[in-house]
Parts: sequence; structure tokens; C-alpha cells
Amino acid sequence: MSGTVLSPSVPASGPVPADGPEPPPVDLFAPVRARLVWIVVLAAAGAAATVVPLVAVVELARTLWPALGGQPVDTARVWWIVAIAAIALPLSFAAAWGSIMVGHLTDARLQSEVRTRMVDLLGRLPLGWFGSRSSGVVKKTVENDVSALHHLTGHAVHDLVVAIVVPVLSLVYLFATEWRMALACLVPLVLTVVLYGVMMAGSREQLVRYDESVERLNGATVEFVHGIAVVKSFGQGRGRHAGYQRETGRFLQFYRGWMNETSVMQTVIEVATAPVVVLVWLAAVGTWLTGDGTVAPVDILPALVLGLGLTAPLLQLGYTGQAMRTALQARDSVTRFLAQPAQSLPARPVAPRDSTAEFTGVSFAYEADREVLHDVTLTCRPGTVTALVGPSGSGKSTLARLLPRFHDVTEGGVSVGGADVREIAPSRLYAEIGFVLQDAHILRTTVRDNIRLARPGADDDAVERAARAARIHDRILRLPRGYDSVVGEDAHLSGGEEQRLTIARALITDAPILVLDEATAALDPDSEAAVQDAISALAVDRGLLVIAHRLHTITGADAVLVLDGGRIVERGTHEELLALRGRYRDLWERHERARSAGSPDTAGTDRDAR
Amino acid sequence: MSAAGTTALRTLVGRLLALVPPAVGRRLRILVTLFVACAVLQGLGFVLLVPFLTALFSGDRPGTTYWLTGLAVVGIGYAVVGTVAGRRAQITAAEVLSALLERFGDRLAELPIGWFVAADRTGRASEAATRGLNFVASTTYVIVRPVITAFVIPATVLVGAAVVEPRIAVVLLVAAPVVWLTYRAIAASTARASHEHDDVVAEASSRIVEYARHQPALRTASDSTIARGLLDEAIGRRDAVARRTHLSAGGATALFAVVVHLCVVAVLVFGVWLALDGGLAVPALIGLLVLTVRFTEPIVNSGALGGGIAAARNTLDHLDELFAEPVLPEPAEPAQPRGHEVRFDRVRFGYGTSADAGADGAAGETVLDDLSFTAPQGAMTAIVGPSGSGKSTIVRLLARFYDPGAGTVSIGGVALPDLGSTRVAELVAPVFQDVYLFDGSVIDNIRLGRPDATDEQLAAASRHARVDEIVDRLPDGWDTAVGEGGVLLSGGERQRVAIARALLKDAPIVVLDEATSALDAENDEAVGRSLDELRRDRTVVVVAHRLQTIRTADRVVMLDGHGGIAEQGTHDELLARDGDYARYWRTRHRAAGWRLRSP
Repeated sequence: MSGTVLSPSVPASGPVPADGPEPPPVDLFAPVRARLVWIVVLAAAGAAATVVPLVAVVELARTLWPALGGQPVDTARVWWIVAIAAIALPLSFAAAWGSIMVGHLTDARLQSEVRTRMVDLLGRLPLGWFGSRSSGVVKKTVENDVSALHHLTGHAVHDLVVAIVVPVLSLVYLFATEWRMALACLVPLVLTVVLYGVMMAGSREQLVRYDESVERLNGATVEFVHGIAVVKSFGQGRGRHAGYQRETGRFLQFYRGWMNETSVMQTVIEVATAPVVVLVWLAAVGTWLTGDGTVAPVDILPALVLGLGLTAPLLQLGYTGQAMRTALQARDSVTRFLAQPAQSLPARPVAPRDSTAEFTGVSFAYEADREVLHDVTLTCRPGTVTALVGPSGSGKSTLARLLPRFHDVTEGGVSVGGADVREIAPSRLYAEIGFVLQDAHILRTTVRDNIRLARPGADDDAVERAARAARIHDRILRLPRGYDSVVGEDAHLSGGEEQRLTIARALITDAPILVLDEATAALDPDSEAAVQDAISALAVDRGLLVIAHRLHTITGADAVLVLDGGRIVERGTHEELLALRGRYRDLWERHERARSAGSPDTAGTDRDAR
Repeated sequence: MSAAGTTALRTLVGRLLALVPPAVGRRLRILVTLFVACAVLQGLGFVLLVPFLTALFSGDRPGTTYWLTGLAVVGIGYAVVGTVAGRRAQITAAEVLSALLERFGDRLAELPIGWFVAADRTGRASEAATRGLNFVASTTYVIVRPVITAFVIPATVLVGAAVVEPRIAVVLLVAAPVVWLTYRAIAASTARASHEHDDVVAEASSRIVEYARHQPALRTASDSTIARGLLDEAIGRRDAVARRTHLSAGGATALFAVVVHLCVVAVLVFGVWLALDGGLAVPALIGLLVLTVRFTEPIVNSGALGGGIAAARNTLDHLDELFAEPVLPEPAEPAQPRGHEVRFDRVRFGYGTSADAGADGAAGETVLDDLSFTAPQGAMTAIVGPSGSGKSTIVRLLARFYDPGAGTVSIGGVALPDLGSTRVAELVAPVFQDVYLFDGSVIDNIRLGRPDATDEQLAAASRHARVDEIVDRLPDGWDTAVGEGGVLLSGGERQRVAIARALLKDAPIVVLDEATSALDAENDEAVGRSLDELRRDRTVVVVAHRLQTIRTADRVVMLDGHGGIAEQGTHDELLARDGDYARYWRTRHRAAGWRLRSP
């Protein structure tokens, strides 16, 4: 039973897209297989035991039957039956309860294991995977989808076993006692199965459409809520946002139509299988069969007692159909997530000779046929500053991100100290290359742990030294609990302050090569000066690969590389490039124009500054 | 037993009724009545089984036919009522959903904008809109109906049994309060567990997202045990609480079922004893036993429904919270401003919770304290000050995201609450720091400023904000979809689109929160130009970061970082005074000339 539900091969929401050569088959349920067996065994035992009290009632009637004619009754047998029923009742419940409990505890364990596996994978996916949408994907898959698995282990296995065992056992008993009544009992059962089949066949397409409209409604709501300030401040706040209005209208129209269609069939099934309707049907057949004496009255009793309960477990499956569908979709989604190839790790790691970073004939494409970097070659030596400049979209960030393996090159090679970055063990690679990103990446934990995030072993002195160098020590002391303040809880830091924390972090890491991805660009200009001082501290004695918008900041670089359209079009020092009167010169002049617009009286204020 | 059901339902249905308009409420009431009728008929069918069996077993043919006819009437009655109820249930679900979505949308539009500024609000609101509302709408069918069935059928059977055999009914009646109390206890413990569970789930979920979001920093860290430790701890706690919740809920259900089953066994023993004693006819006993065994099923199942009820209650809690949120007072008759001078008069303001506060300060802290300044009509006033000094709060107060705790913000001499939010929205065109663009074309996003604008006006506004230059670069030009939130554009570009929007709106007052991120040359130049355009004939209040904006402003207000103002005046006056502002200007200037390494 469980095999049908749980094997990953059951199609639920269309084909699983095959990306990559052949992702290893992922068996989500492997760690809990043994427990699944327990769920099935207990559920089957419980289901079987529910039939016993019903059979007991019938047998009780048979045993007491002579009393109707005033004859003596086998009293001992009566009490035996009562005893068996009295034991079977709690037993059936205990087994069913046990099955559900094991199911739920298994579910808790499974969710925990699956989440841990997913998190492990998160730590090994190529860094390029973590784009702007990745938070949403992670939230949906690791949180919502794994939670939706609950229905499978927590309920579906149990329900399915019950839906099979109860009707099968009942029918066996019914056919053994009176086959004609047994046939009558089959009628509602077959009817249910057929009607459900018809309904399901028609609804498959509708369910897909339902998912789509929920998705659209979701999008419209998210947009409405996110854009509310805009909506309201442009005077449309009194009415609802047009997009939200449109999508709710569309969703409701679909929902109504769908409900209208399915409610007919749904109602027919419910009415046809209602115990009272089945009761009337069986009573009528029984009256007819006993009327001409074909069947003894006591022999229609089994049907009246057991025949009523045949469809209920099936209906239960029907009621939970939506949860089942969601759970199966979630399982596929989780399986797909886990099947994603992790970043390759070197089988035999090579150690870098020194800290020179080299790009040799590098080409890179995010998607096949759309190359964004073409044949780029550059060297970044320890103690030198290499600046990447160029218009937005020219490939600066992409290029810099190849070094710490956000992506791997399509052609050519990136190496550190003579070893290809793909051949260096990650811990070794990141000991060589540090990264100060635009986004500060501060965790909701203590300031101290945030600073020593990359070197958990760093002692308090080292942390403080780094904080001082990054010009953030004094600010930290002003926090309610100093270094023990938790960011986001009792430490509210500005963008500039967070950036200085990450600089302190980079100082502690002490990597000989640093990539600065416009580290000051996203800053509150009011704290820019402090961050700049911190960066100056960082720049001492390191090899820097800098992405720069504001050209004047890198006029002192050892090499300036001008990127355009994914190629290096010019290279040299600032002065050399100006003399070229080419692309760099254009950029520089434009930059200077904007800068002088900001401060035409530069001379005067520069004097003030000194 | 029916008492427990009605209590649980009364709260659930009552709260649902409170959320929907009367017409839909009527439909809901009818539906619930129909459900009850169905359950009564169902129970009646079981009860009729007793006389039917008696007649059948005693060979009473006319009696058998008579009671069969009675059963058939009940069965047909059920079929009719059940059909009507089934059809109506689905339609009513759609009606309820429609009413809720409408109410929800109106509510979002009513809430002060400030409410949405809090970080987790948007997520919670959209979660409520989609999953929450859908769930609540289906509640009648998925939860209310089974609960009614679970309690009304046994109640009917009980009454019927009392008529047939009062002594057996007494046994069942004695059990009723016990069952009821156990049921209450379960519902309460499930609700408690559910709250604790929600908390650990939220924590684990936020840790996972954190771990993923900061992966670039963690990976390059070469040793990320700190982050992984935080995450593993959260997952572990979640696992532990989930187990505990399952065990306690399971224990409660087990207790409940044991009580119910004990009643059944009591009826069985007592009934058989009576029958053997000759005090109870065998056919009646058989009928009663069938009843007893059958009727426990819905009751035991209702224990499992407790979780569903708790979930529905949680969702309703979230909705109620949303509807209970206070709104800003609105005037019956909006007053007319005299001119467009902006005035902050002894304004005091603090954010209620840390979620509201964002970067502007901690919970409950006063951000602005006794702050007064005037932004003259037709002039540009620049607000400067250290981070966290309340600059963005001033923008939000002027756009009436909130009302101040004390003091007044006024336009043309009229306090904002007397103008009303609609009038304020007409008068003030805001350009925020985090510009949110809708996932439509660039044109759609600009047109939002004034939906009835002509193409010429649109083109002019776009040109002034230099949006045309951005559009030239986009793959599909003006029709390029900008992605959710405008992700396809850079921060500076988004702000230019927002400026174009404000230009198009042509409101007399513009309040602009300049992007803090350093703009590249092109954006910097474009923003500067469009600011010149904006200030030509408008009152402009700008939280200024660009040196050019600060230097050329007609008036500079320098905040002191403690909720008040350090200095105000023109750039030249303030420089001459050589105080805080002069110091600030010099630092900024030094930063602007900073080089990574001297040549």
C-alpha cells in the first residue's frame, strides 16, 4: 500500500523535468522505511479489529435468537461474545491510535531529516544559485513543501490501509454468511468507486487550472500588499488595487464555475453513499428476500450492521484528496530540489602555491548560447589593486564572482596560486579569497559571532581588534549589551554600520586576496567616511580585486580593466587609460561632470577639510 | 454531547458570521440549518432501524413493510435535504470567499500605510489572503459539517433510544458530561500546543531563509559552524515541539476515545444483561447495539477534528487582528489648505513595535521629539542628519503613514487629520527610497501617477526624469515588464521612474527620500536634473544624501540624532556658523574625495 503512495515514481503534477545528466534517485522515505511498516501493520490490525464488534453484534443476535421462540439461550456463549466485543473495541482503537501516533512521530522525524538534507545541500549548491528569488524558493520548498509531506506519513498511509482492510474483511464475512445480501452491499461500494472515478477524470484538468488561479491570486495579493504605499499615495487607496480586483474577480469566477460543476457529482456521491440511504436500500432488499422465505431474517443482519460502514473509509480518502494532491506535489518538489547537482568538490584537492589570482581565457555563459564574458585574461597579485570598471551590465560582477566560485567558467580557467579553483578544497580556497559584498549579510545573532563568523575560533581580543580597525568598536560599546547584543533584536544597525561589521569579519578572516564588490555603493553616505577608513585598513598588504562605480576612488589602482559587453576593451593605469582617449576617458569625463555638479566649489571646501 | 459541538461551532460560525455581510450570513445560517436537518434525518434512520428489526425478526410482515416505508421516507427526505445542502454548501463557500476577499481588500486599502512598513506584515497579509481565506471559506464544509454530524447524529439517536428503551438511554446520558468535558480539555490543549508550535515553526523557517540568503557570505567563510549551529538548533527545537505536540494531542484523543468506548461497553453489558433477564426484547437489543456501535464513530472522529478547528481559529485570529487594527481618523468634510507650506509643529513620534521601527530606532523609542520646522511653499527644504535620526520618519509623517503622537504636521495651515488621507494623497507626491514598481511595463508604472494623463504628459514626465534613457536600453523598450518590485532596474533607475511618476501626478508638494546608495554618474546626473524640474514650482521636502541637493537647497534642516534639530538655515549660513552642519559637510566632502589607494 505504502509503496504506491510513497514511491517517487507516481506522477502527481506532471513530469519531473530532467535537468542535468542523471541526478541520483532521491528516496525521501528511506530513513523511515521501517517505521512505515509499523504504520501499515498497526493500521491493518486496527481496521480488522473495528470489524470484530460488528460481527459480535450479529453473532449475539444469532445466539439470542432462540429466546424469540421462548427457548433457552446459551448464556456462556453470549458473555463470551460480549467479552470479545468489549476487548476488540479498545483494541481497534489502540491499534488505530498507535498507527496514527507512529505516523505523526515518523512525520516529525522525516521532516527533520529532510530539512537537514536540504540545508546540507544549500551549503553545497553553486553560489550562483542564490539569486534574488532564492529566498522564496527556499521558503516554499524547505518550509511549506516539507510541511505538506505531513499528510503522507501522518494520514494517507493509515487512511489507505483502512480503506482497503475494512471493506475487504467485511465483504469476506458477508459473502460467508449470505451471498445475496453481500451482493446488495457491493452496490453502493461499486457506485462510489465508479462515481469517484468519473469525477476525478473530469477534475484533473480543473485542478491544474485551480492551482494556476491560486498562483495568480497570490501574485496579485503580494503585489498589492508590497506596493500598497504607492497605491495609496497616488490616491487609489480608497478603491482596491486594480490588479487585485481583477485577479480576485477572475479567481472567484473560476472557483464558482468549478464548484458548480463538482458540487453536482460530489452531492450525488454523498447522498448515494449516506448511511441512511444505504440503510434504506439494504432494508428493502432484506425485506424482499425474507418475504418469500429465501433468507432467514437473522441472515440479513450482517448486511445491515456491516454494509453501512463499507463506503465511509473510501469517502474519507475522497475528503482528503486535496491534502493528498498537495502532499504528492510537495514530495515531487522536494525530490526535485534534492536532485539538484551540488557544486563539484575536488577528488584530490590541490594546494595553491601562493596567492596570485589568474583568469586565463575565461568565457562564461549563464545559459547556453548567451555568453556574457568572452576570453578574459587577467592577473591579480598580492599587494596590488586591480579595478574592474565599465557600464552596468558589462560583466564586472560576474567576472569577480568567478573567483570565489559563484559560478564555474564555461571555457578557460580561474586559478589561485597556480591551482584551478575547482581543484582547491573549499576551506583552503576561502582562506585565500575573502569577499566583501554589497549586501552586508548579517545574521540574527550576537555582534561578536557576526564578526567571527568565518573564524569561530577567534578570541574576544581578535574580535575587538578587528572591530577597532573597522571603526565599529565604539558603536558596538554603545549597544545595550555591547558585543553580546543580538543584531535585529537589541542591536539596530544602519547600513554603514553593518558594512563595517562585515569589514571587521574580513579582517579576522585575513585572506590575502579580497574581492570588493562595490562595497561602499549601497551605503548610507552619511556613514561612508567611516566605512572608507575601514576599507583603507583592509587594503593594506592585500591583493584587491575591486568593482568600482565611482572612478575617482580607484585612480590609484595598479591596473584598471575596462569591461564592455563582456570583454576587456582597455587596460592600464588610470593615467595610461586617460591618455588612450578611449572608452575609459569617456567614462571618466562623464563621472567628473556628475561629481563637479555636486560640488562646484570643491577648491574652497577642500581647504576647509584640511 | 451536543453541547460540546455547539460551543465549538458557535464560536467558529459566530466569528465567521461576524466577518461576512448579512446576506452571506443568512446563507451560512440556512446552510448550517440544512446540515443539522441532514444529521437529524440520518439519526432518525438509525432509530427507525430498531422497530424495523423488531418487526422483521418477529415475522410481522405488515409491520416490516410499515417501518420500511418509514425508513424510505426518511431516506428520501435525507436525499432531498442532502442534495440541497450539498449544492448550497459549495456555492456558499464561493460567496463567503468572495465576501472575505472583498472585505480583506477594502481593509488593506483602509489601513494606514505605516502598518505595511513593518517587515513581516506583507508576508502575513498575503498569506492570509490566499491560504487563510481559502481555508476559512471551506470551513463550513470541511469542519462545520463533520462536527455537526458528529454531535447531532448521536444526540438524535440518544433521544430515539430514550423513546425505545429509557434504561439504556440513561447509561448514555450519564456518559455525556464526561465526554463533553474531555472534549473541551482536548480543544484547549490543542489550541495551546498550536500556538507554541507556530512560534518554533516561524523561528526555524526564518533561520532557514537566513541561512540561504547569506550563503554567499557563509560559503566564502570556509568555516560556517556558527550559522549552521543557529540553524540546527532551530530545526531541533521545532522537531522537539512537533513531537511534544503530537504526543499531547494524541494522548488527549486517546483519553477521549477511551471514555467513549467505555460507554459503549457499558451499554453492551447492561443491554445483554437486561435481555438475558427478559427485561429487553432481543430485536430491540440488537437494534440498540447497532445504534451504539455506529454512533461512536462520528464522536471519536470529532476528536481528530479538534486540530482542524484549532487551525481555523488561528486563521480567524489573524484576520481579526487585521480587522481590529486601528485606522487613522478621517474628517467628514476635508478642509481646504491655504497654500502649500509644510509645517512640523512640536511633533513627537515613536514606533510602537520593533517591527514598525526598521532602521529608524528601536521599539518604543521616541524618534522625533518636539521637532518643529517649516518648509516654505515653492522652496526646496533638505533634511540631513546622522543615520537613525528620523529623516525617513519625517517623510512618512508628511505622507501620513502615521499621525504623530503629539504635535501637528500641517499643510497650508491645516493639520493632516483635518485634510484626510485622500486629500493628503492628492497634495503630496512621495518618492520613497525603496521604490516598489509593479510587475508591468515602465509606462504602466509611470501612469500610476495620473491614470488619465495624456500620452504627451506622460512623455514629458518621462523625459524630465530621463526615464527615456533607461528605456532605450531595455529589450522591449517602453513595453518591457520590469519584474516584480522592479527587479530588472537598478535602484537609481527605479527612483527615476518614481520621480517621473511624481512629476506626472503634478501634486503641489513633493517629498523625496533620496536613495542612500551611491548613484553612478548617469543616475546621479538624471536625479539632479529631475530634482531641478520638480522644484521649479513646487514645495519640495527632500531627505538629502547627494551633496548637490544639500548645497543647492533653499533651506537645510540638520537633525541632531536625538529627535530634535541641531541647526537650520541655508547652506552658506550654516557653513559660516561652523557648527554641526559644517562638520558634517566637511566629513561628507572628504568621503567624496576618498581613494582606495593614493596614486
